[in-house]
Amino acid sequence: MVLDELKEWLYGCTHCGTCKYVLNIFTPACPAGERYQLESYFASGKMLIARGIVNGVLDLDDDDIRDRLYACTGCLSCEQQCGVYHHQHIFEVVRALRTEAVTQGALNPAYMVMIESLKKDDNVFGKPKAERGDWAKDLGIPEAVKEKVDAAYHAGCLLSFDPELWEVPRSAIALLKAAGVDAGIMGAEESCCGGRAYEIGYKGEFTKYAEHFLETFSSLGISRVVTSCSDGYSTFKNLYPKVGIEMKFEVLHMVEYLDELMQNGKLKFTKAVPLKVTYHDPCHLGRHLGESGVYEAPRRVLAGLMGVELVEMERNRENAWCCGAGAGVSQADPDLALWTANERLKEARATGAAALVTACPWCERNFKDAAREYGEDIQIYDIAELARRAL
Amino acid sequence: MIETVISKVVEELEKIVGRKFVSTNRADLYIYSYDLTFAEPRWPDVVVLPESLDELKAIIGLANREKVPVIPYVAGGNVSGLTIPLQGGILLDLKRMNRIVEVNETDMYAVVEPGVTFGHLKAHLEKHHPTLKYTYAFSPPSTGVMTNALVQGLDNLSFRYGAASHWVSGLEVLLPTGELVKIGSCSASRTWQAIVPFPELDGLFLGWQGTTGLVTKMAVNLWPKPEFNTAITFMPIDLEGAYEILQSIIRTRIPDDLIGTSFTLNKVGVLAYSHQKMPLYPPTKRLPDEPEFVITAELTGNTENELKAKVEAVGEAVRARCAGIKYTGPETVSSTTAAFPMQALGVLSSGGGLMWVGTYGPMSRWLDTVKRGCELQDKYEITRTCYTRIMNEGHFAGLRWMLPYDKGDPDLVKRIEGLCAEQLDLVLETGYIPYKTPVWAVRRLEELVGHDWLKLHRRVKEMLDPNNIMNPGRWGSPK
Repeated sequence: MVLDELKEWLYGCTHCGTCKYVLNIFTPACPAGERYQLESYFASGKMLIARGIVNGVLDLDDDDIRDRLYACTGCLSCEQQCGVYHHQHIFEVVRALRTEAVTQGALNPAYMVMIESLKKDDNVFGKPKAERGDWAKDLGIPEAVKEKVDAAYHAGCLLSFDPELWEVPRSAIALLKAAGVDAGIMGAEESCCGGRAYEIGYKGEFTKYAEHFLETFSSLGISRVVTSCSDGYSTFKNLYPKVGIEMKFEVLHMVEYLDELMQNGKLKFTKAVPLKVTYHDPCHLGRHLGESGVYEAPRRVLAGLMGVELVEMERNRENAWCCGAGAGVSQADPDLALWTANERLKEARATGAAALVTACPWCERNFKDAAREYGEDIQIYDIAELARRAL
Repeated sequence: MIETVISKVVEELEKIVGRKFVSTNRADLYIYSYDLTFAEPRWPDVVVLPESLDELKAIIGLANREKVPVIPYVAGGNVSGLTIPLQGGILLDLKRMNRIVEVNETDMYAVVEPGVTFGHLKAHLEKHHPTLKYTYAFSPPSTGVMTNALVQGLDNLSFRYGAASHWVSGLEVLLPTGELVKIGSCSASRTWQAIVPFPELDGLFLGWQGTTGLVTKMAVNLWPKPEFNTAITFMPIDLEGAYEILQSIIRTRIPDDLIGTSFTLNKVGVLAYSHQKMPLYPPTKRLPDEPEFVITAELTGNTENELKAKVEAVGEAVRARCAGIKYTGPETVSSTTAAFPMQALGVLSSGGGLMWVGTYGPMSRWLDTVKRGCELQDKYEITRTCYTRIMNEGHFAGLRWMLPYDKGDPDLVKRIEGLCAEQLDLVLETGYIPYKTPVWAVRRLEELVGHDWLKLHRRVKEMLDPNNIMNPGRWGSPK
């Protein structure tokens, strides 16, 4: 029983509220709590909900209770702020409750479409699997399943199926080519990493994708997998080991690889990109990786682009405010997702930056949608898009 | 509340604040039924989160009309069951009323709404008024500034200025009967500098645990922030030595803050700083050569020389009085805003529970009370965790034994309950009065205070809250 996993952590939370704010600057840390204000939406409230469910006082059959559990972007900011010994297990508790809900058949309709699509087409958007590599059709990039390459570029579901974001993987490929990297893609054979399934409580589907991913890349003899998707990256690095999947190849986020290529002189830029920018740290590239959080590489890359001026938001690095899209919130509670993103856009605008730069397609998608919804006047880019302009 | 009344009240509340900020969901009611202590959980009937004074007026009007209990709530970090709704009713979560209305640099006060926390005020002052400071409670930064003052909390300037209620310089109060009154200079002028020279009506609300009215604005003193600070510690081998050291420092009138803790609390607390569970059970004993107590004096100075002179003067005072006492110190350590990090409450957690018999009492009975309280901890096989803060230049002391505990361990909970019951008997005997008084201690105090006191108390409560809607069942509760 999944709830057994929780017992160790049920009584750790004193409901002291430290998780609600970023320590020392006391700006909000929890998107759901800040949006809804009821204690049940904050991390401390969710820990008490877990206690109530395990002790039989509360019931996962209650739609409103599940709404509270699904109104969590999994950003882990609460874990960053919490001062108690259970602090690294808060989202684990939320995820276990979601898994228990799935086990009990208390399903969230918003996710059923996603899961059906995963089962049928290996992606979370209900798109035909055959169209997965369309973004790269005219690039002349090798397909790793057909010819041997050193590095495979993993686009991930969102970058594969959202034409408005295709400039991100296309920029990444252009940069890899410019640096002389022997890279290929998986094309239609690429599949979802399964990370989203894990976060919304479908552990079985997740395990299936983890095993598939390992088998595929191992059989192709690829030494390095590069991805622009921070969700995917943290899934490979962080979640696969949780189900006993050990990578036999190196996994890099594109921004780490860019940093490496710039540092060792393989990638050189010739053009200036005059732009004042601020950098949004994606949760999956930061807090989700614990002490291995990728905070400095993107900043080094931006510093290496002529004309780019980087200004920091008040909440940055480990304390960054979430974009709002994570852990299934953009599907289950789109209003919360967009509101959260807009809070970040306002913070970005307050720095005087003309553009917000990030390194995660889920963040970028949500920021673009929020800018449309709320009318915040700011440009939004993936870091690879800016870097490509400098080639 | 009966179902039909609940439905009517909920419908009205939704009209007042909007559906989004009203909840009868079981998860919400369950969460607000608890606090850190072993106080018995009681569920409210509905939770509501107003944002403005107008909304608040409408809610209180509704509650008074329907005779529905109202329980004010801000941060939830309570230690005495003070926001557990003893008789159900409306749980009034005030966190959305979180404006810092004014900071007056010259008159050195801030006017805050109920939802303003220590964290918010600190951040605001650092950003906009960097030469001023407020205090920090021995609790997380999410603690409410106003609630801390209302329940007479102790803070890191308490040696200088006493309990937090002592530095309130103005109030705006919504009475249960609907009137809005200002108390202090703000009632007759634009500024909120002092309660005096008016009759001190703030006493109708401070220390009453939200049973007489709803404070909607409060002015609290701010103080200049000296540039230089440090802390010095002394570690006596026994409690007699601790008492002598405290007395010698008290008479200097020098520190901003003067606190003492059991050495064993510091010893086990070290692990908690690195996010590890505090190993309080089985009890950690001090070794023969280890000290019994750690005394810390926080010092500030406008210049380096002033600070240095203060350090020397405190050291000299202790040397002079404590020549025959075995202790180490003074040792200079980094100044902190409290004896523990800002997230103290979290750090002290060892399983979701935190309990104490917290008291204010006379220094003349300090040694006797501390010794016997610690011996009771030994009897119950619990690590000695005494915590004391000297208040108002030694005119009284805050004293408690911190008891983090695992709420999931019923045997331990029983042990803690037994210890607290005996410690309550002890403190009442030695003249230490429980503060942030839990209802079980209120009932004990009511046995001690005498008939006329009770009559007066209940008359005041009845005059201000004739329908007994404000946090009923606590101070002034009708017999």
